[in-house]
Amino acid sequence: MSELRWHPLLGEWVATATHRQERTFLPPADFCPLCPTKPGGFPTEIPAATYDIVVFENRFPSLRPDPPAPAVAGTELYPVRPGQGECEVIVYTPNHQATLATEPVEQIDKLVQVWTDRFAELGARAYIDYVFIFENKGEAIGVTLHHPHGQIYGYPFVPPRVQRELEQAHAHHAQTGRCLLCDIIGAEQLDGQRIVAANDSFVAYIPFFARYPYEVHISSTRHLQALTDMSRDEQRALAAIIKQIISAYDRLFDISFPYMMVLHQRPTDGRAYAYYHFHIEFYPPLRTQTKLKYLAGSETGAGMFINDTLAEEKAAELRGHVQPVVWQAETANNGAGQGHEGGERQ
Amino acid sequence: MQRRQITLPDGRYLIFYTFAETAADEPRAADALERAAEPAPQPQTQAEEERHV
Repeated sequence: MSELRWHPLLGEWVATATHRQERTFLPPADFCPLCPTKPGGFPTEIPAATYDIVVFENRFPSLRPDPPAPAVAGTELYPVRPGQGECEVIVYTPNHQATLATEPVEQIDKLVQVWTDRFAELGARAYIDYVFIFENKGEAIGVTLHHPHGQIYGYPFVPPRVQRELEQAHAHHAQTGRCLLCDIIGAEQLDGQRIVAANDSFVAYIPFFARYPYEVHISSTRHLQALTDMSRDEQRALAAIIKQIISAYDRLFDISFPYMMVLHQRPTDGRAYAYYHFHIEFYPPLRTQTKLKYLAGSETGAGMFINDTLAEEKAAELRGHVQPVVWQAETANNGAGQGHEGGERQ
Repeated sequence: MQRRQITLPDGRYLIFYTFAETAADEPRAADALERAAEPAPQPQTQAEEERHV
């Protein structure tokens, strides 16, 4: 069964996808479905002995281009609709043991280019109003496959969390004539205490209003709405600052740091969103090396987050683990590891 | 960046993305696909599209 059911109390859609109960759950490394299919080996999802980056339709989608009719009849109180959309898996590397943080910045740069292509292609489909690119990393987040990968959902509507952000941005623009995120970036740069890293095109910070102890936002310093608005230099700069942040996460507690990484871009429903501003948000679940920040009664039942830490202190802590990014081509050319994009903030 | 899209046996699409800087060092996905197809019990996949992006 796969359908969208209306939640009348919250005014939002809920996807039911009962077939997802059958999806592969933490298989041994020898039977990873995201590894290359080796000659003589078991067939994985990817019929190739190696690859660079691969995107495919999820075998267990919660949304699909040609969904079945809802299994239940809707009512005026409980509307239902087919679960139309797209669910893609994006495999970052053939290396099962890697993580995005351990991959060279060149591979992250390739990923940014693939993200851009997927945003353009999925966003052009008439039944997709919002392209949501994200990664769940680590068992603490609930991943079912360890092989480094992310996901892309093409929603047939603007999802509620993004819709609320759009409304806030629109209201701020109507009131002040300015972009809300541009103002936030300006405030963070002026204060400086919560900045974690920066380069010519992006700034990474734990915002004043952080809900998680190590919640980092990466925002473009230029006012743009989506990956497709970026120049090639900006794509490279984005890869560099992502590399810096997720590598700093790993150094923080000397573990492979779990996180959710989400890209917030303009909707693809054909309307104008010039007031909106591209950014990436990280929601790491850890508050210490061994303790999780649970979304408990207040967060889940009331929607009010309680952060046990100060963004200023956590930003300083994380900033201490940020290192310069080294591009291999420059290393080869210069003979020394001098990164050029996004060195540690001075 | 170059992309090559195939259709999996169950009808889903899969896209190989390759990049110029690695093309000389690594087997092309299409070549690898041909090598991998024989031992795998899946039906042969079919190329649909190859283009530069």
